[in-house]
Amino acid sequence: MATARPIRSMDPYAQEFWTYTQKKELRLQKCSDCGKFRFPPGPTCDKCLSDEAEWAAVSGRGKVLSWTTFRRKYFEEYPAPHTVIVLELDEGPLFTSYPVDVNVSDLSEGMVLSLRWTDGQDKFGEYNLPVFGPPSA
Amino acid sequence: MADSFDRKRLAPLKDSVAIVGVGETDYGADYRGAGGQAAKKGEARYDSYTLASRALKRALDDSGLKKDDIDGLCTGPTLSGERASELWGLNPRWSGSGDAAQCIIEAAMAINCGLCTTVALVYGNAQRSMNTAYGGAQVTGGGITSYFYYAPWGLTSQGALYALFFQRHKLLYGTTEEQLGAIAVAFRKHACMNPNAVMQKPLTIEDYMKAPYVAEPLRLFDYCLINDGGVAIIVRRADMAKDLKQKPVMVSAFGWSEENVDATQLRPRLKDFYHTAHRGVAAQVYPMAGVTPKDIDVFATYDSFSVHLLASLEGFGFCKEGEGGPFVQNGRIEIGGELPCNTSGGMLSESYMQSWNHQPELVRQLRGGLGARQVEGAEVAQYVHDVAGKCKSIIYTKGS
Repeated sequence: MATARPIRSMDPYAQEFWTYTQKKELRLQKCSDCGKFRFPPGPTCDKCLSDEAEWAAVSGRGKVLSWTTFRRKYFEEYPAPHTVIVLELDEGPLFTSYPVDVNVSDLSEGMVLSLRWTDGQDKFGEYNLPVFGPPSA
Repeated sequence: MADSFDRKRLAPLKDSVAIVGVGETDYGADYRGAGGQAAKKGEARYDSYTLASRALKRALDDSGLKKDDIDGLCTGPTLSGERASELWGLNPRWSGSGDAAQCIIEAAMAINCGLCTTVALVYGNAQRSMNTAYGGAQVTGGGITSYFYYAPWGLTSQGALYALFFQRHKLLYGTTEEQLGAIAVAFRKHACMNPNAVMQKPLTIEDYMKAPYVAEPLRLFDYCLINDGGVAIIVRRADMAKDLKQKPVMVSAFGWSEENVDATQLRPRLKDFYHTAHRGVAAQVYPMAGVTPKDIDVFATYDSFSVHLLASLEGFGFCKEGEGGPFVQNGRIEIGGELPCNTSGGMLSESYMQSWNHQPELVRQLRGGLGARQVEGAEVAQYVHDVAGKCKSIIYTKGS
């Protein structure tokens, strides 16, 4: 059994994003006409309104922008304390996740973290959750 | 985005409508169960319509107008305009909805277009009785917004989003938690001068620092209340606002600018602190009213979290970007200080009416006679509404 997680926001576009995670691929939609990345997944490019997009793999490397530590339990699946981070991916989009293999007290502005995978499931099924930790040497 | 607003068209709308009546429910008494409203979370005795009805009656009494004088209606969150109209026996010739500032702007536009003359703006929210949640498992899965999109990673609640905002502010500018604490302390001081406020116990910076984190680096007192209440505001065409029961308070300027691109990614929040929206609104309101930030006698900002004040003070030019922390120190934002902010106690300490309670307070400050809470000589007041980058502002001035 994969680890239970709070429910995902699901629509046909999110479904595609999460399907790639089953293969441990972090892919974001990139406009085929103007090249803008977008996230969350959706039907159209917010820059040029083109509906042509590819699911482009991202490097999985990002810099820490901010973080917060929940000192109260909001979800059964995440007892306190639980820390969430926001990263700026090398490709530009911001991505929210949680840190692994790093102490919260060691987090710093601009710190480089890279993609790891952990398992997850909810009523929509099993998937892999992209999380971020120190780059391997 | 094209900056396409037309200053020449906005200019004549200055002072074209006035606030002639305000009404609120008994926030403090209701919170303590003395007003007949729920004493405990989840014990609903009345609903939002009951609270809204009470506020409307009080606003009409305050204005001296009669129900039949109302020909427009704006309703705030939790109310259906259709049901509210029926409940109050109204057949409006125009109606709208939204947050308080949005409703004031919409009412001003409708009145200036000639669709109506006298608009009742009404809000009611039995959120404490109904045990409304603003984070956690009850609010997941609804659709695409940062509020719940990141639930699989454990991110939830507006509070956590503002915690991310403040953490970023700390990292970039060295703002401290003690500096942030001055905001909650100031607003509580104001609440203690307001008999209708929910919170009546003084709060020191030591109390603030000792309180637990909720979403670190935000502590308990950085968070707004959850309480029941209703607010009503009567907006009327300026030439019909004279010789009523109260001196009119003029709507001297309004502005609107939103920053929604990449909002779920948190880009405008963490990379811009919503300042693009703030600057867009500032460029509208100050020239329209013919004032600058230096002329503002009383200031109020949407304050579901203390952090909002830092953002709006910096964005509207009361201080430089990044200097909000030092700015709010040493009583500057308290009554008697250079820029009294959220003088009713705000949503942190008076009542969480989702921006609605700020308008009656600014109106009262401009009418004068508030005793210890009165900002002496108040003639110009500004409200800034900034909820996740959807920014609006109103400048009110004392009418005659």
